[in-house]
Amino acid sequence: MKKYLFIIKTEIMSNLQYIFNVIFGYVGYFILLFILFNLWKYLYSDPNELINGYSMSQMMWYVVITEILWMALGGKKLNTKICNDVKSGNITYNINKPYSYIGYSLSTHLGDILVKGVVYFLLGMLTGLIFLGKFPSLNIIQVIVVIITMFLATIISILIIMALSLVAFFIEDATPFYWVYSKLILILGTIFPIEYFPVIFQKILNFSPIYVVSYGPAKLFVDFSWKSAVVIIIAQIIYIFIAYIICQIIYKKGVKRINVNGG
Amino acid sequence: MLMAVRNQIKVIFLSIKYALMRELLNKTTFLSNVIFMVLNNSSMIIQWLILFSIRDNFGDYGLKQVILLIGLSSSIYGFAHFFFEKSFKLSETINTGKLDAYIVQPKNILLSTITSDIQVSALGDLLFGLIVYLFYGFSFPSFILYYIFTMTGGLILVCISVIFHSLSFWFNNADLGADTINNMMINVSTYPDSIFKGAVKWLLFTIIPVGIANYIPVKIITSFNPYLFIINISVCLLFIVITFIIFYKGLRRYSSSNLMSARI
Repeated sequence: MKKYLFIIKTEIMSNLQYIFNVIFGYVGYFILLFILFNLWKYLYSDPNELINGYSMSQMMWYVVITEILWMALGGKKLNTKICNDVKSGNITYNINKPYSYIGYSLSTHLGDILVKGVVYFLLGMLTGLIFLGKFPSLNIIQVIVVIITMFLATIISILIIMALSLVAFFIEDATPFYWVYSKLILILGTIFPIEYFPVIFQKILNFSPIYVVSYGPAKLFVDFSWKSAVVIIIAQIIYIFIAYIICQIIYKKGVKRINVNGG
Repeated sequence: MLMAVRNQIKVIFLSIKYALMRELLNKTTFLSNVIFMVLNNSSMIIQWLILFSIRDNFGDYGLKQVILLIGLSSSIYGFAHFFFEKSFKLSETINTGKLDAYIVQPKNILLSTITSDIQVSALGDLLFGLIVYLFYGFSFPSFILYYIFTMTGGLILVCISVIFHSLSFWFNNADLGADTINNMMINVSTYPDSIFKGAVKWLLFTIIPVGIANYIPVKIITSFNPYLFIINISVCLLFIVITFIIFYKGLRRYSSSNLMSARI
């Protein structure tokens, strides 16, 4: 565990050198948020109106949180890196090292995005406050719980993207799987809460990764309840365990197929 | 002059042909890229079906117009990224000194550079655009207009990208700005202009020309307006001229890195 924490620390130190890039990257997040704010403003003719149980302010804060989770994640970068590692054979450099490739990739990427995540969170809160005038009513402990669920959601997202990317062992380019996954998360988890879908579909979504990687933390932020918090955290821990096992299975099966010519 | 243009076009198509042949070496990857991109884009339709279940229209846009807008945006993106993929990575080419390989060719440097690579998945965007257009409703005049606007919109997208990436000749990290503008163009283009108001709407029809590339064409296809058509074509030509001026001004500041490389 110590070695993985060291990898995370190294990545954080490295990213702090490029803090300007992180802040500049926030512009992209802000634009997306701005579009969605305009969209919801247009949809809510009256700000106090409730659509599927959400007020305009709740909907916008929901989007702030889900977009932080998605934009700070850097999923495309992770997907490209793992696909390239597999395609180029670079993955072999990790085989004889005293760590697991899954653990190494997870900690590298986590370290890589932690600075971004904190900056996006702070600036996202500020943007939301400027646009909406006030925060949802949460006390400090509830905010900490939301942050914990956001952190766990990020770990699950990384593991899922890793599992999808490791399919590159079998079909060379696994990027298309990532596209579809990212769009599913965007439509089913980022822009709309689960309540916007038909009841039968809601039941399926409640057991899907969307519940733990985007809906759960955002729902807690706009409508906190301790019961939901416990359910979400338990579901996230189960998902981390399952996603990690799946990554290991794909990796172990895939790594047997490696055929590297020396050079 | 005409001969030179003909030769240039021939070289562009040869470059694209060889890039496509290279990608076709792995047919599974090629097909999965195209098919999954179609599926990926289809999710936008789901998003708008949900939004239209809340409200019947978005200003001038009904569901049919929004679907047309999504299809056109997808086609524009596909056209730009299939034929001119390198225009979206131009900063890297400039910063790493890889322009050398194009400067020594007896052809137009900008065109040779930006057409030297393709994005296979962009074929999926083009295919999705065609499917959506057919769903919207086929008629010969609208079909011609749809693909004229795919080209003008694609060229505007490419021009914006080249202009901002060309700032790499003057500044470090210009790619960050270029990527942000490109993403902004793509993100905004799938939402109708009726949700934007005031200064933002003005920006979308001027500095960030999503309005010219996407919104005006949808208005023309649904109800033909010759003035708007002329505006679309003129702005496209204007952007092409500005792009060439800025790129070649910047090119004077370019210095070779003496990088030895082979284009295979």
